[in-house]
Amino acid sequence: MTLLWAELRTAISLIAHGDPYLMQVIGFTLQVAAISTAVASAIGIPLGLVIGLGRFRGREALRILANASMGLPPVVVGLVLFLLFVPAGPLGSLHLNATRTGVIVAQSVLALPYTVALTVAAVRALPRGLPDQARLLGAGRAQLAALALREARVGVMAGVIAALATALSEVAAIVIVGGNVYGYDQTLASAALFASNAAMYAEALAVGIVLLALILLLVGGLSLLGQFGGGIRLRLGPAA
Amino acid sequence: MGFLWHQLREAVPLIWSGHDDIMRLGWVSIRLALVATAIASAIGIPLGCAIGIGRFRGRRVVHAIANASLAVPSVIVGVVVLILLLPRGVLGGLRIEFTLTGVYVAQTLLALPYTVALTAAAVNALPPGLLDQARALGAGRGQLSRLALREARIGVLAAVIAALGTALSEVGAVVIVGGNIQNHDQTLASAVLQQTTDYTDYPNALALAIVLLVLTGLLMAALTVLGQRNDALRLRLRTR
Repeated sequence: MTLLWAELRTAISLIAHGDPYLMQVIGFTLQVAAISTAVASAIGIPLGLVIGLGRFRGREALRILANASMGLPPVVVGLVLFLLFVPAGPLGSLHLNATRTGVIVAQSVLALPYTVALTVAAVRALPRGLPDQARLLGAGRAQLAALALREARVGVMAGVIAALATALSEVAAIVIVGGNVYGYDQTLASAALFASNAAMYAEALAVGIVLLALILLLVGGLSLLGQFGGGIRLRLGPAA
Repeated sequence: MGFLWHQLREAVPLIWSGHDDIMRLGWVSIRLALVATAIASAIGIPLGCAIGIGRFRGRRVVHAIANASLAVPSVIVGVVVLILLLPRGVLGGLRIEFTLTGVYVAQTLLALPYTVALTAAAVNALPPGLLDQARALGAGRGQLSRLALREARIGVLAAVIAALGTALSEVGAVVIVGGNIQNHDQTLASAVLQQTTDYTDYPNALALAIVLLVLTGLLMAALTVLGQRNDALRLRLRTR
């Protein structure tokens, strides 16, 4: 137990003394999580409402696509974004590789499937008559969407929390696009990867402890939601 | 779009030519996914079944812990496993740090929450009367769990597929415990990470990513089909 114990003691003192590097990583992680989730929600929730409520052709295909894109390996998403942002690439003029903005963009793209797919699932789980009845009573599209959003709010919130959780625990896309630059564009998860590759195990553990605390807060939030939702079963997606 | 197209045109022949590395990495990933999922299923399905069926004290707490463990970031599992496996660590005598065997151990631990928590959820979602009725009719524990597993088989299968999916696309723990050493303990996903960040060999990384995408795509398709069958099952139960 000696090694784990020794590293753990160093790790705890790093956290207790507010190590400046650790604080910087925590700050950037919270920033990435907040912005990417906000972007993914602003785009994904309306999109999910359209797919869930719409009566156009191909909506079933879109729903399946949204579900499947939750299973996209983050390394693949990261690689494609990286190649788009390479100077010679189509979006090269934006200069996003190895920048903080690039990390936030990559994370927003990764989070989008969660907000879309879980909003669709939440809207579809509403009692079948509800949207039809509202339509019969003359509700317009906006009213219908507002109604569905209000009724399905627990499921939609679960999508938002899942997006937050991936922002906290995902590494692959962030490392590929951001380059995992020490003290600049690292999140807690990518910092843990960096630290353990550099054999700085105490730092890796300190980062890991903070990360675990944040994740547990989210899980707690999710299980509270589950209780509000009358036992709706919600789970976080695979976090690679 | 010229740049991306060019990279893609160089990548596709690499796959067709049966490039040694790509084939080998593909097999490593598939084997890793199969072995880790098999061990995690052998341990996790009975455990999940016990949590789902059992009427012991604290089963709700155990279930909550299993659910929460789904959200533990893979980098944390990686750091802890690596510190245990290092020469001065508790399990240092095994000498499996930075080897494929160590990667198998880490990946099995990562797959376990999926098989436990999703099996428990599937069993919990059975019609409430079913198991009580079986108990009333005198079913023993063995018979009861066989009945539960048969009825919840689609949910259990979905759990197994989810575990396979994370094993294929996960990088955090694989890179930390294995060290991401080329020609030694890489998987498709961790090789994509290295080819992009260390060697900037984009065609090769793209070729690996395409193979990875095909494999995960197959799994997502299987999950979609299962989901549809599950819908049908629920409908039948409702109308009966």
